[in-house]
Amino acid sequence: MEQIIANGLYLGAQYALIALGLTLIFSLMNVLNFAHGQMYVFGGFITYSVVSQLGMPFIVGLIASAVTLAAMGALIERFLFRTVIRRSAREESTMLLAAGIAFFLDAVILLLFGEKQRGVPKIVNGVFNWDFRLIMPYDRILIGVLAVAMIVCFILFMQYSKAGRAMRALAQDRTAAQLMGVDVDRYSMIGFALGAMLAGLVGALLVTITGINLGMGGPTSVKAFMMIMIGGAGVISGAIAGGFILGMMESVGLSVLSSFGDITYLVIFASLMVFLAIRPQGLMGKPWG
Amino acid sequence: MTKMLSFDNVELYYDHVYALKGVSIDLNEGETVALIGANGAGKSSILRAITGLRKIASGSITYLGERLDGRPAAEIVRRGIAMVPEGRRVFPLMSVKDNLLMGAFTRTDRADIARTLESVLARFPRLRERYHQQASTLSGGEQQMMVIGRALMAKPKLLLLDEPSLGIAPKLVQDIARAIVAISRDEKVSVLLVEQNSRMALSISNRAYALSTGQIVLEGMSKELLTDDRVKAAYLGGDI
Repeated sequence: MEQIIANGLYLGAQYALIALGLTLIFSLMNVLNFAHGQMYVFGGFITYSVVSQLGMPFIVGLIASAVTLAAMGALIERFLFRTVIRRSAREESTMLLAAGIAFFLDAVILLLFGEKQRGVPKIVNGVFNWDFRLIMPYDRILIGVLAVAMIVCFILFMQYSKAGRAMRALAQDRTAAQLMGVDVDRYSMIGFALGAMLAGLVGALLVTITGINLGMGGPTSVKAFMMIMIGGAGVISGAIAGGFILGMMESVGLSVLSSFGDITYLVIFASLMVFLAIRPQGLMGKPWG
Repeated sequence: MTKMLSFDNVELYYDHVYALKGVSIDLNEGETVALIGANGAGKSSILRAITGLRKIASGSITYLGERLDGRPAAEIVRRGIAMVPEGRRVFPLMSVKDNLLMGAFTRTDRADIARTLESVLARFPRLRERYHQQASTLSGGEQQMMVIGRALMAKPKLLLLDEPSLGIAPKLVQDIARAIVAISRDEKVSVLLVEQNSRMALSISNRAYALSTGQIVLEGMSKELLTDDRVKAAYLGGDI
C-alpha cells in the first residue's frame, strides 16, 4: 500500500509539472498545445546529449534543457502562433498549427537524436528500503523531490512576482489586463516560453529514470490533456490536482489491475468519460461557455 | 487652462458600421467632462479609442500636445491615462490586494506604489477590510470601488470612467458619485465620465457632451444642461 502511494506521488509530481505548462499556455492564449509531449521528449534528449554524450553533470543537462525549450517556446509563439492568431479568429487554426508543430518536432527529434531509447547514467545510487514495505531507489526520490520543488517555485512565481501576476491577470480578463498596461504580446511569449520550459524540465527529470524515446511524445500529450480535463482547463490548482490524480490512478491500476492484463488505461479512460459526463468542466474549472 | 485631451474629427467603426462620425471634443486639465447619451450612441467608443483598445479610422487624438492614436494600449497607460471599464472587469480569482497592485503595473518605484496603495485604502476603507479576499466575492458596489482604486493605483493624470453606476444598487450610486468628485479634487486628476445616468453625470461634471448615433448633438456647461429643456426631454426623462 505504502509502495503504491509513493509511486503515485512520484509519478503525480512529474505529471503535475507537465500539466502546469499545458494549462498555462491554454489559459493565456486559448491555445491547446498538442506539441507539449514532443517538447517534453525534446527536453529529455537535450539532457541525454549533454550528460551522456558530452559527459557533463546532470544539473547542466537540466539547465540546458530548460533554456533550450524556453527559447523554442518563445520562438514558436513569436513566429507561429502570434502570426496565426493575428490572421485567423478561428480556434481550429491554432489547433491545426499545434498539431503541425507536434509532427514537425517528431521529425526533428528523429533527425537529431534517432529512434533509439536513450537514458543517462544513474545520478545517485542506492535504494531506500523501509522494512520491505516501501522500496524506492534514491534517484527516484531525488527526482520526485525536485519535481515538487519546481511546482512550488512555479506557484510562488505566479503568485508573488510581477510577471506572474500579469499572466494571471491576462488569463482572467484580457481586456482589463491591457488596460493596466500589460503588453499582451510580450506576456504571451513569456507564458509560452515558461510552459515549454516546464515540459523540458520534466523531460530532463524523467530521462534519468525511465529514459526517453521518440514514441513518448504523443502519449504524453494525451495524458497531459487528460490531467487538465480532470482538474479543469486553465486553472493552476486543477492542473496539479489532475496530475496527482492521474499519477495515483496509474500507480493503483498498475498494481491492482495487473492480473487482468494491460488494462489500466482502458479503465482510466472509461472512468474519465463517466466523470466528464457528470462534471464536464473538471474539478476546479468553471462551466464552459 | 491647458488643454489635456482633444479629439479632432474622429471616425471609428466596427465592421463597417459607424460608431463615431466626426467627433471633436476637448478636455482641459483639472476638468470633469461627462459624455451622455443613449445606449449605442458612441460614448464608450470614445473611451476605447483613447485607451487604444480600438483603432480610429480617421481624425486625430491629441493628449498633452502629442498624438495619442496609433500607440499601443500599454504605452497609453504609461503616459498617465487609466480607465475604469464598463462592467467593472475585476480580476475575479485574484485578491483585492493583487487587483490593486495590477493597477500599478506600469510603475516601478515600490515606495511610491506603497504610498498610493495606502491612499487608495484610506479612501475606500471597505477595500482594507476585504484586502485578502477574492475579488469575485465582493458585492457590485465594492467591486466598483475596487476598480476605481485600481485605476488610481496607476497615478493617472486622466481618469476615464465607463458607466460606473451600471449595475450598482441605487443607494450606492451616490457614494460612487461622491467618490468621483473627491478624487478629481484631491488627486488633481482630470476625469472623462461616460454615464447613462445623465442626471448624476451632469451634477458632478463641469462640462458635458451629448452624443447620438456617433455624433455630438449638444455641448455646454453641465449646470446649464441640467435645466435645458432639450436635455430634460431627451436624457433626464426616466432616471432620477
